[in-house]
Amino acid sequence: MNEERIKISQDLLSDGFGLIAASGYINNEGGQAIADAANKLMGQGCKTLLIDLDGTRIINSIGVSILLEILEKLMDEKGQLAFCNLTPTISKTFEIMGLVQYASVYSDREAAQSAIAGDASV
Amino acid sequence: MEVVLHLPVVPNVELVAAKAVETLGGALGMHQTHIEAASVAMVEACLNAMEHGGGPFTVRLRSDNQESRPCLVIEVEDHGEGFDPATAPKNSASRVHGSTMKRGWGLTLIRELMDEVQIRSGPGMTQVSMRKYVERAP
Repeated sequence: MNEERIKISQDLLSDGFGLIAASGYINNEGGQAIADAANKLMGQGCKTLLIDLDGTRIINSIGVSILLEILEKLMDEKGQLAFCNLTPTISKTFEIMGLVQYASVYSDREAAQSAIAGDASV
Repeated sequence: MEVVLHLPVVPNVELVAAKAVETLGGALGMHQTHIEAASVAMVEACLNAMEHGGGPFTVRLRSDNQESRPCLVIEVEDHGEGFDPATAPKNSASRVHGSTMKRGWGLTLIRELMDEVQIRSGPGMTQVSMRKYVERAP
């Protein structure tokens, strides 16, 4: 089961725009690892976070609940959350749990970065 | 084709059951998206069994061909206090958004991700039985 252990990387892409790449099982530990990365980026002034789930195929509702908390924290800060590279099942789970009602979903990282950069230039 | 797993309550043991879904679903020729949906439902059923079952629990997987429609049948059985499935609340995004209580999604996700779900529960035994058809229903 080691291959399911979450792997996280984070990057400050531009002023106020942070990227978190997460692959592996999003359970309580995986969700918390993403939340820790999000808090670090928000502490650096990020108000827009893109979470790339390429390589994540299994999740549970506890992990997704932690992602909901990240979303609400960003909304409180007038920020925005986006996801990319979701499998159809993860996308459906996010829809059921209400994440996609308030977060943006893009097919891949390039599409997300392009759309977010476009929003920022308006 | 049948797999029976007697699982202890240890961290991430639900992934053992999810792996069994992947293996049997693949052997049945199930589409990867259906396998992943059944895997998430399995994970949620196992988490419920661990949280409410109070001890080791049993997972059974088998193939079935009901009315010439091949499917994967999953049963998760625990030995907790039980509950009334008819009164179990259906969670919704509007209920949890802005609330500090964000848990309680297991049964809602299972019902949404699987094709058929039956729950039998009473004192000492809860069994969640679910089906995922190899092909989507016409």
